[in-house]
Amino acid sequence: MNANGTAGSTLVNHWQRGVPVYREAVVETPFLFFSAWAAVGLALALVRVLSPLGPFSGMNDAYAWGIWKTFNVMTLTALGSGPLAIGMAAWVFNCRKLHVVMRTALVSGFLFYAAGLVALGGDVGRPWNFWHVIFPWNWNTHSAMLEVAVCMPLYCAMFLGFENLPMLLERIYYTGNGRVKTNLRRWAPTLKRIYPYMITGAYVLPVMHQSSLGALLLLAGNKIDPLWQSPALPLLYLLAAFVCGSGFVTFVLLIACLRYSRRLDIGLLSELGNVISVSCFVFLAVRFADLIVRQQLGRAFVFDNMSVLLLLETGLILIPAIALRNPKTRETPRQLLLTAISACLGGMVFRYVPTTVAFSPANRAMYFPSTPELLISIGYISLVLAVFGIAVKYFAVLPGELSEWNQMSKVFSERYRKLRTNKDTSWLASLLTR
Amino acid sequence: MKLAVNRRQLLKGIMGAGGAVAGGLVCSVAAEEHPAYPVASPDAVGMLYDNTKCTGCRACMTACSEANGLPAETLCPIDPAISTGLWDVPADLDSKTKNIIKLYREKDGDNFSFVKRQCMHCLDPACVTGCPFGALKKNTWGAVTWNSSFCIGCRYCEVACPFDVPKFQWDQWNPKIVKCELCFDQRLKNNQEPACTAVCPTRAVIFGNRNHLLAEAKQRIADTPGKYFEGRVYGEHEAGGTQVLYLSGVAFDKIGLPKLGNTSLGHYATKVSSVIYKWLSGPIVVAGILGSVIKRNWKRHEAEAVEAEKETGLPEQL
Repeated sequence: MNANGTAGSTLVNHWQRGVPVYREAVVETPFLFFSAWAAVGLALALVRVLSPLGPFSGMNDAYAWGIWKTFNVMTLTALGSGPLAIGMAAWVFNCRKLHVVMRTALVSGFLFYAAGLVALGGDVGRPWNFWHVIFPWNWNTHSAMLEVAVCMPLYCAMFLGFENLPMLLERIYYTGNGRVKTNLRRWAPTLKRIYPYMITGAYVLPVMHQSSLGALLLLAGNKIDPLWQSPALPLLYLLAAFVCGSGFVTFVLLIACLRYSRRLDIGLLSELGNVISVSCFVFLAVRFADLIVRQQLGRAFVFDNMSVLLLLETGLILIPAIALRNPKTRETPRQLLLTAISACLGGMVFRYVPTTVAFSPANRAMYFPSTPELLISIGYISLVLAVFGIAVKYFAVLPGELSEWNQMSKVFSERYRKLRTNKDTSWLASLLTR
Repeated sequence: MKLAVNRRQLLKGIMGAGGAVAGGLVCSVAAEEHPAYPVASPDAVGMLYDNTKCTGCRACMTACSEANGLPAETLCPIDPAISTGLWDVPADLDSKTKNIIKLYREKDGDNFSFVKRQCMHCLDPACVTGCPFGALKKNTWGAVTWNSSFCIGCRYCEVACPFDVPKFQWDQWNPKIVKCELCFDQRLKNNQEPACTAVCPTRAVIFGNRNHLLAEAKQRIADTPGKYFEGRVYGEHEAGGTQVLYLSGVAFDKIGLPKLGNTSLGHYATKVSSVIYKWLSGPIVVAGILGSVIKRNWKRHEAEAVEAEKETGLPEQL
């Protein structure tokens, strides 16, 4: 407990630390379900590597970007922006309660980013020329696409990778032998020394590339409906990342805790609701200020297709913004879940629409993703969900109470004792018993 | 012997030097700007197409395909009946067609007009601004050319181009971006004019210095008042100006030339980011502010973590 026992301290919560899910078997029905979809998607992705893009996808010269870019990357990395949204809330804005849910954000964020990057790899036509990225003199620094191409893999591999490292090392520490423990203890201070610098980078980089995703659309000029095409697109894309990121972490926490019968920390969830609500308000303020400045506000209410889409997106974001101002809503899990979903959907509609629906090249062409294109896209998403389902069982991701941790460690040490009596101390054996 | 610098100072020195190198690199590449209204360089070349002179003979299409080694597009997506596999029947610019003559006919009435479409060779091309590794670039004489070894196939050029010009080889495993390059390698380099202008029997499309072509176009407008739509040259100002210029007897948007603003798209897209990213100053400032706040909060967090560890016996989880 804190010296003066104030609430809101970093560690004194109902949820006190990440605890692996240990009662359930590793392989469960949802895992099998998502793995199957992932397997189909990845097999098709492999076929795509050997096949030209044309016969495989619904893309064409007018709609040159299909759902792999516009949905799996430009839209879903917003859901994967939890580490940015929650991390900034915790480390910069000092919402110290939120530290305990960082790992949920980090794992899901890393997976969405990694899946997005894989999707991007399969989407580009000449990936073998990508090596130019390591030579800055080959960069066209005016290009938002370059910013994304450099920043996104760097962020995912280096910064999200680093932030997820303690979780990995913790597992190795608890399952390792004496020498492993000594080595890890020796390296821990170094890790902690660079940690604040690395998380600073971990917030600067996504601010850069999440806004650059919006900046990509600027060059498309008046192909994009004026309700979306705006010099403020980069900022709005970034703000939508906060809306989606905070919403998605809340969603994942609620769903996972329901599924694995973890007790909820209402105080903390309420704080998350607050982050969602603030993100939504900031987004809407900038969105409508922009529409007013560009004199498009009138068009927003003419109720044609584009206006309806805008109002849908606004409604989906306005509901959580207002509803979550009420502490009662924030503290009711069902309402929090529904509003979090609403925020996610709103942010996703905003990010997706200008890339495809409100994108009309002069050439009267159509785009609808082909079946393999859709299956691959679904496959990547399923892969994220399947891996997440495994990760929470092997690593201390989902938050729990201290008593939960103690119980888990009792169960595990029992399993290890049995293993040792069977003289099997291999890492694989420990992996199998978790 | 005691070292003159401790590790922290050394680290700071290394980081500083690295930053300086990175900064220098950024400066050196970020030399050129995107003015709102770019000015054509004195040696910029281009084409002037006057559809009142065009007879639609399509000699330019054949010449283009021949000069560029392009195969015939024997499948016409608009009318499968004429897709006999015998003739070159492209419906629009595509990965086998860098240059096309299209026919516009009024729905009611006898008015018709041809239009030649190919790359406009913008003064500040959106495709070049967007191309991440500079595969597309503004080459000598302002020709917009494509270099296969820098292209990653992201197709941002297709999304960016306001004239829908760059095309992608969807049916190839190692796809290329196909667009008119003003016959740069094939002819321009050897002091020859592009194939299309060279063969045009009525001189409906002519090649020359952009400034001369613009003067010529304005002369034609002045000589025959009322003949040309809006009495102006398409491409003089569109999207910041293009090196291919059009004179038309019918409305520009009817023959597929889009209505565009006069500022360059590159300017619109980079006017804010070029300030923020100048010498990476924006990201560095943000990193500085965030870093100092995080450092402060980090210390407090660590102090609390030590307390908690004493109490529970469990190390903190980052």
